[in-house]
Amino acid sequence: MSKISRRDLLQYIGAGGIGVVGGVLYGESVQQNVELLIPQVVPPEDYSPGVATWYNTVCNQCPAGCGISVRIREGKAKKIEGNPVHPVSQGRTCARGQAGLNALYNPDRIRTPLQNVGQRGSGNFEEISWDEALTTVGSRIGRLKIDNEASRVRLLCGRVRGHLDELFLQFMNLLGSDHYQQYDFTYPSALMAANKMSFGTDVLPYYDIRNAVFLLSFGADYLGTWISPVHHSLAYGHLRQGREGRRGKTIQIEPRMSLSGAAADEWIAARPGTEGLLALGIAHALVSEGHYHGSDRDEWSKALQAYSPSLVSAETDVSEDKILQLAREFGTSTASLAIAGGATAAGTNAVASIVAVNALNYLAGNLSQPGGIIFNPDPAFSATAGSRQAGFQGMLDLIGAMKAGDVDVLLVHDTNPVFALPDNVGFRQAMQNVPLIIALSSFRDETTEMADLILPTSTYLESWGDDVPDPGVGFPVASISQPVVATLYDTLPVGDIVLSLARQIGGELPIHMRWGTMEEFIKERWREEYDQRGSEGEEQEFEAFWQAALEAGVWGQPGAVAGDQPVPLSSSMIASIADPVSKFAGDESDYPFVLHPYLTATFLDGRGANLPWLQEMPDPMTSVVYGSWVELNPVTADELGIREGDVLDVESPAGSVRVPALIFPAIRPGVVAIPVGQGHAAYGRYARDRGVNPIHIVATLIDDQSGDLAWAATRVKLRATGERLQIIKTDGVTRTLGRQILGPENDHA
Amino acid sequence: MSTFVEKLRQYRKPGYYDKFDYHWTMTIDLDRCTGCEACMVACQAENNLPIVGEKRFAENREIKWIRIERYWEGEYPDVKMRFIPMLCQHCDDAPCETACPVFATYHNQDGLNTQIYNRCIGTRTCAVYCPYEVRYFNWFTYTWDEPLEQQLNPDVTVREKGVMEKCTFCIQRIRIAKDNAKDDDRRRVRDGEVVPACVQSCPTEALVFGNSNDPEAKVSKMMKNPRGYKVLEELNTTPSIVYLTKVHS
Repeated sequence: MSKISRRDLLQYIGAGGIGVVGGVLYGESVQQNVELLIPQVVPPEDYSPGVATWYNTVCNQCPAGCGISVRIREGKAKKIEGNPVHPVSQGRTCARGQAGLNALYNPDRIRTPLQNVGQRGSGNFEEISWDEALTTVGSRIGRLKIDNEASRVRLLCGRVRGHLDELFLQFMNLLGSDHYQQYDFTYPSALMAANKMSFGTDVLPYYDIRNAVFLLSFGADYLGTWISPVHHSLAYGHLRQGREGRRGKTIQIEPRMSLSGAAADEWIAARPGTEGLLALGIAHALVSEGHYHGSDRDEWSKALQAYSPSLVSAETDVSEDKILQLAREFGTSTASLAIAGGATAAGTNAVASIVAVNALNYLAGNLSQPGGIIFNPDPAFSATAGSRQAGFQGMLDLIGAMKAGDVDVLLVHDTNPVFALPDNVGFRQAMQNVPLIIALSSFRDETTEMADLILPTSTYLESWGDDVPDPGVGFPVASISQPVVATLYDTLPVGDIVLSLARQIGGELPIHMRWGTMEEFIKERWREEYDQRGSEGEEQEFEAFWQAALEAGVWGQPGAVAGDQPVPLSSSMIASIADPVSKFAGDESDYPFVLHPYLTATFLDGRGANLPWLQEMPDPMTSVVYGSWVELNPVTADELGIREGDVLDVESPAGSVRVPALIFPAIRPGVVAIPVGQGHAAYGRYARDRGVNPIHIVATLIDDQSGDLAWAATRVKLRATGERLQIIKTDGVTRTLGRQILGPENDHA
Repeated sequence: MSTFVEKLRQYRKPGYYDKFDYHWTMTIDLDRCTGCEACMVACQAENNLPIVGEKRFAENREIKWIRIERYWEGEYPDVKMRFIPMLCQHCDDAPCETACPVFATYHNQDGLNTQIYNRCIGTRTCAVYCPYEVRYFNWFTYTWDEPLEQQLNPDVTVREKGVMEKCTFCIQRIRIAKDNAKDDDRRRVRDGEVVPACVQSCPTEALVFGNSNDPEAKVSKMMKNPRGYKVLEELNTTPSIVYLTKVHS
């Protein structure tokens, strides 16, 4: 037996002891944290493990105002579906609506108030407390108010409707500044201006695609991006197969096939910028072929004299026969409907083009008819929110004021003009002249990055609010938006921020804006609305009504038909007919191609680019993911010797972008198309440094009548850089090759 | 083994599934479908499909249980784009089922082609045998950037590396509906009570889902439409999805 000395023994015991302690500590450290089934001591009342609860609220991924239902399990939002009782979405959603959860649980959300500590725009932010942030803003604005300089405070929002719009307005009014503007790239300014001229209405009408049998769309991608895509898709399904034995027909006129173009029975690529002229040619044929029976037939034929199908045919590159055939079908179908949007509403002739399309509807007798244009009643509230849309002119004014040093404080909420304006208008540069920029935002997009102070807003799934869908559905409707989950971070709903600022600034602001929270404010306003409508047969107590409205997420009066339908004066419609041919920036010899930027069903104007589900959703027409591309007609590409993936410099008179080429069979030769949405310099990990933004190289031509940016009126030239880039797409073989995949009779490989 | 072969022979007899309570079937009206891809994102949300990232997408490692296929017809200017949603066809005579060495994929009595994740050993044979190419293999264990994982649907397993996956017709929703029916003392779920995520979201109502063993179900009526056909029918896979062709005017 070997001898163990006393010293050795003690050493062994010591080492063993350390080992045991170490083992125990290691064991403790790798042990999983105990997770409780119900993590709270006092759980919320609707919390029961394993049972899903649904809350109705309003989608905010685009301005259509669809009602949604959100499935909540254990306090977490799991799934968004359409609210079945909401008249806009009727239980359905689009891809963007589904992806709203990615906004809520986005890893790149702003979690606390932030203060810029580096150079402006450098992205060096430091966390500060809400107290500090609100005090800074409050004292700064308060001082301006005391000095009677409050007009140096400006507020710029995205499309804000409902009572939040009223709150903003009240805030600015009490402050003494009338500089409250909204800017939304997708706002149909030209359509509003044209409808004002044609019909004298300030409210978007209801386009009754559902009951139409012949739909003629001039550039409006009504299934993907145009004003209310989910509702239009529902209507489209009905138009096609909802009526026994009567299948509606759709025609799409646009230089590059959109989702709606793909769905159409016929896709007509008229020469870009002449779509309005084509409408007048059809109108001419409608009258001359005797499809219009009004007493003022002679006046119409005189007004349309210059637009005979033969002349129009030469200009538009659409055959005379086709124009006559379209006129015949449009004139004889009940009901027919013509709509205009997209590039047709984004030339220098935008309003004139839409007026021409409106005239078509008038001549065919589609106004206030089922399957035609039905005029909406004035919205239940926020009737004037649209008038605060700055449009392009308003933005130029703001830039001018910023450059002239007339703006001391700029508050920005939910809009991204640095991204959604052409580079050469210099919004970003002008911001450098503003001493204090405050962003009320959930994400650090390009505009928010320029802020000195970021007040983080809760997402729409965590906020109170209300909304009036625009366009409406022909009868009075209002929706309530309620938080479906508890606020994730140290953020506040934007309404609550405004109320806190009002308290901070003091004076008469907190006296008039006395509500503690947005919820209180909304509820009070709804009570007032309820009391006003009390005579209309609502006998329930308000609380019961409020609970029912909250549960349904929507309130409406389906029985109430849209009040007085405006009767447009034929004479004023005739007077408003103008020559609708768009001009283009850039000489054709130097810039041989027309640039066709288009909004995508995926990202809209770029606001969806930070949502990973949308980045991973193949573009519906090309199946490309994660990036940008420029589309060329196969013949054009052949002539230029360009293959898919060749990186091109696309240069306009206003700038250039570098982007890989994609051969796209359904685009007019002489036109190149780049999708809008990518090309973010900020906006989180999923969006940043991916693709290009065609809006940045758009020349700043404006529509003659509405003053809006003519973003489809720029010419470009292409130059191959010699580089190549893999375009990531999911499609392999894009021909059926006789496999009868689309059905036995339907194989035209 | 012999009992298995006998069973298999029984399965292969026409009409085998008609005697059960359910035969889940879908119809897809291509005349309504606009290719908007709402179904794809709805499926991703419901079934915990991973966000694979740009690099993996470039390597064709994406996982989409339902996808939209695009086919061009003709040339400019008479060019047409045709869309067709493609998902597991839940074939009654599914080639994938006979191929699996460990019976990880099998046909249940509801007519569903099901995949048992913890039985799957990842040979990927089924994906090779599937003529519709709707089986997706997990080449990696995907993670979600925090806190995106909070959205994950607790009713659906999150799959790991080495497992094959595919459309389940939202079997979790079928289960819930059956449970509810049982609680209400009903033998069968009502028509329209089970709505998979893609069908639920479809804004044009192109997708209809239901029990084709119930002659009164909407899906049974849709299946009788003369425009109906099954994709790659000549392979005798007997798909459970009936497509209705687009109408040419």
